[in-house]
Amino acid sequence: MRQHHDSLAAAVFLAPALVAVVVLRLWPACEALHASLLAPRAINFSLDNYRYIFTDRTFLNSLEVTLLYSVVVNPLQIALALMLALLLARELPLVGLWRTLILLPVAIPQSVSAVIWGVAFRPDGPLNAALALFGIGAQRFTTSPGQALASIIVVVSWIGIGYWMTFLIAGLQEIPPSLYEAAAMDGANRWQRLRHITIPQLRRPLTFVLVANTVANLLVFAPVQILTKGGPDGATDLIMNEIYTRAFVTGDTSSAAAASVVLVVVTLVVVAVQFRLMTPREQ
Amino acid sequence: MVQSSRLGARVSLIAFALLSAIGWAGSAGAVTLNFLAAERPEVFKPVIAAFEAANPGTTVAYTQVPFDSLNAQIQARVGSQDPGIDVYAADTPRIPAFASRGFLLDLSPYEAQIEATASRTAVGAISADGKLWAFPMWSSTQLLFFNLDLLAKAGVPPPSAAITTRLTWDAMLDDAVRAQKAGSRWGFTFEQVDRYYQLQPLFESANAGSGLSGPGLLTPDITGPAWIKTAAWYGALFASGLSPRGVSPEQTPDLFANGQVAFFVGGPWNFDKFDAAAKLHFGIAPVPYFTGGHPATPTGSWAIGVNPYAAHKDAAVRFAEFLSVDPEGNFLTVSANPLPPTNRAAYARYIARIAGLSHSIGPAARDIITYEMANTAVQRPRSVGYVAFEDVMNHIFSDIRNGADPSAALAAAQSQLTSTLARVR
Repeated sequence: MRQHHDSLAAAVFLAPALVAVVVLRLWPACEALHASLLAPRAINFSLDNYRYIFTDRTFLNSLEVTLLYSVVVNPLQIALALMLALLLARELPLVGLWRTLILLPVAIPQSVSAVIWGVAFRPDGPLNAALALFGIGAQRFTTSPGQALASIIVVVSWIGIGYWMTFLIAGLQEIPPSLYEAAAMDGANRWQRLRHITIPQLRRPLTFVLVANTVANLLVFAPVQILTKGGPDGATDLIMNEIYTRAFVTGDTSSAAAASVVLVVVTLVVVAVQFRLMTPREQ
Repeated sequence: MVQSSRLGARVSLIAFALLSAIGWAGSAGAVTLNFLAAERPEVFKPVIAAFEAANPGTTVAYTQVPFDSLNAQIQARVGSQDPGIDVYAADTPRIPAFASRGFLLDLSPYEAQIEATASRTAVGAISADGKLWAFPMWSSTQLLFFNLDLLAKAGVPPPSAAITTRLTWDAMLDDAVRAQKAGSRWGFTFEQVDRYYQLQPLFESANAGSGLSGPGLLTPDITGPAWIKTAAWYGALFASGLSPRGVSPEQTPDLFANGQVAFFVGGPWNFDKFDAAAKLHFGIAPVPYFTGGHPATPTGSWAIGVNPYAAHKDAAVRFAEFLSVDPEGNFLTVSANPLPPTNRAAYARYIARIAGLSHSIGPAARDIITYEMANTAVQRPRSVGYVAFEDVMNHIFSDIRNGADPSAALAAAQSQLTSTLARVR
């Protein structure tokens, strides 16, 4: 009887979350899968939408751009976040101030950051003026196919690095000092301590940061939409921008649904691989 | 304990039900219409006030959505049958596509009222498949603005406002280069850089066509020599540094208002802003044309559509009708935004007001706007594929502006459009 009561109470408490998951996640996902199997004006299910997007140069380009972007942005952000975390986990003068300054961009919405960076990146904008002070010629930033993706990476990293750094600092502070003391007694140098104590002990926060950062970067949208709209020449057409353009600009909702399903599958595969790689072998 | 918490839950439920009932009774009879458009709230403030005064119990809640997001919002919200939008501004060339997707209420029952007050062109712009899908509200045109001080500094005589002495693009660009050499930051810019609305007339003027042909205007036609030549001309404006890269259409009027551009092709909605710029002395002339081609100017603008899933359909139609068919209502929509209204009586008042503008440009503005709208205006292609076409073209213009090879960019766009348009046939 008592157990029955407890399960009922648990169900009641879980209900809001479960309803939200079903209504906001599972139901739209099923809808997207359903829509992706119906070609425009078709009444029977088929893989036509998938065939179409996988032969469409624009979509294939967006997959390539997303891959290139992910391969660069994720290691870059995590390496910089880790370096800053190692630096700022020490007893530095004014450490609170430095941490706050690095975290500050997180408090600004991504869209606002993108607008501000948009002004900075203008060919006649302040960044080029600053470069000119050092004798460096004007750069084209978001108007050049060669520099646009790098410009987007700068914007998202400006926001992201501070954010991920805070998780790693928290993880560093959890490592028992006794481990370092024991290593010091054994004569371990700095590099050995980092490699054999810090990194293994950081495995859990690092796994979280790696997975969450990868997913967040696969879903980047606002900076692209505001700064480049996927251009120039498709150089920044990340997959979320491509899906948005299909669904809400050109109104091809069925191919957008197919592209969304592809994105979900890619995300799940990447995350599964990351979890596998980050699980300690003895488990 | 369990008993008391159950009692508490019941009391809360009853209280919630009572409060909801009170709220419901309080709102009975009062209607709030949700209206979505891209303009500043001040633009519609006068007409909303007049409508609310004439229709007690009905209020209009206006939401401004950025120009680039408005069509996406309509696609997302009306496409998912959201009753939270009652009335929205629909760009006239998008009406066939919106109608085919079921985003617009069929307004054919109001045909008599609309035809009695608007021109045949304005009625054509809101029709598709023999039905009327919106109330016409505004039209548009473009003018060549020039900075008198920058031209004087370069020793360039200001262009004449007379239609008969319209400049060619070559002549205007020569003057723009001279002005830039004499100190102007930029020689020339289009207001709506990279947008098909502004750039279509270039291709029409060069006898290249609209870019869509065939049955239902669903076949892309943008790889002919005239298209490539005109696209290369556009790209060269930016490659040579005469016009600025990396500036959005929203930012270009400020460049002219701040005295950084000698020549500017833009819309009449800029009059108030430029008049208000204390240090700016400007004049206007007709938009140039290509040698060997013919004068062509953009036209078309926002109409007012009703969401077929609107919560308050009748009141929504009443409001939309007021913005269009009522001469006072239609005139009020342009009192803070000097675009040509479609209602004939409102247009007469509008053009008289334009004639009285300061800077002694008034009479010239009246003559140019009247002439261009009657003689050189080119409609954007009316096709269910227009929405996809415009998006691809805007991207391609942006790429060409940023230095892409025009011939390769147009060929890629042609192939992309061929596969995209096949899906909307």
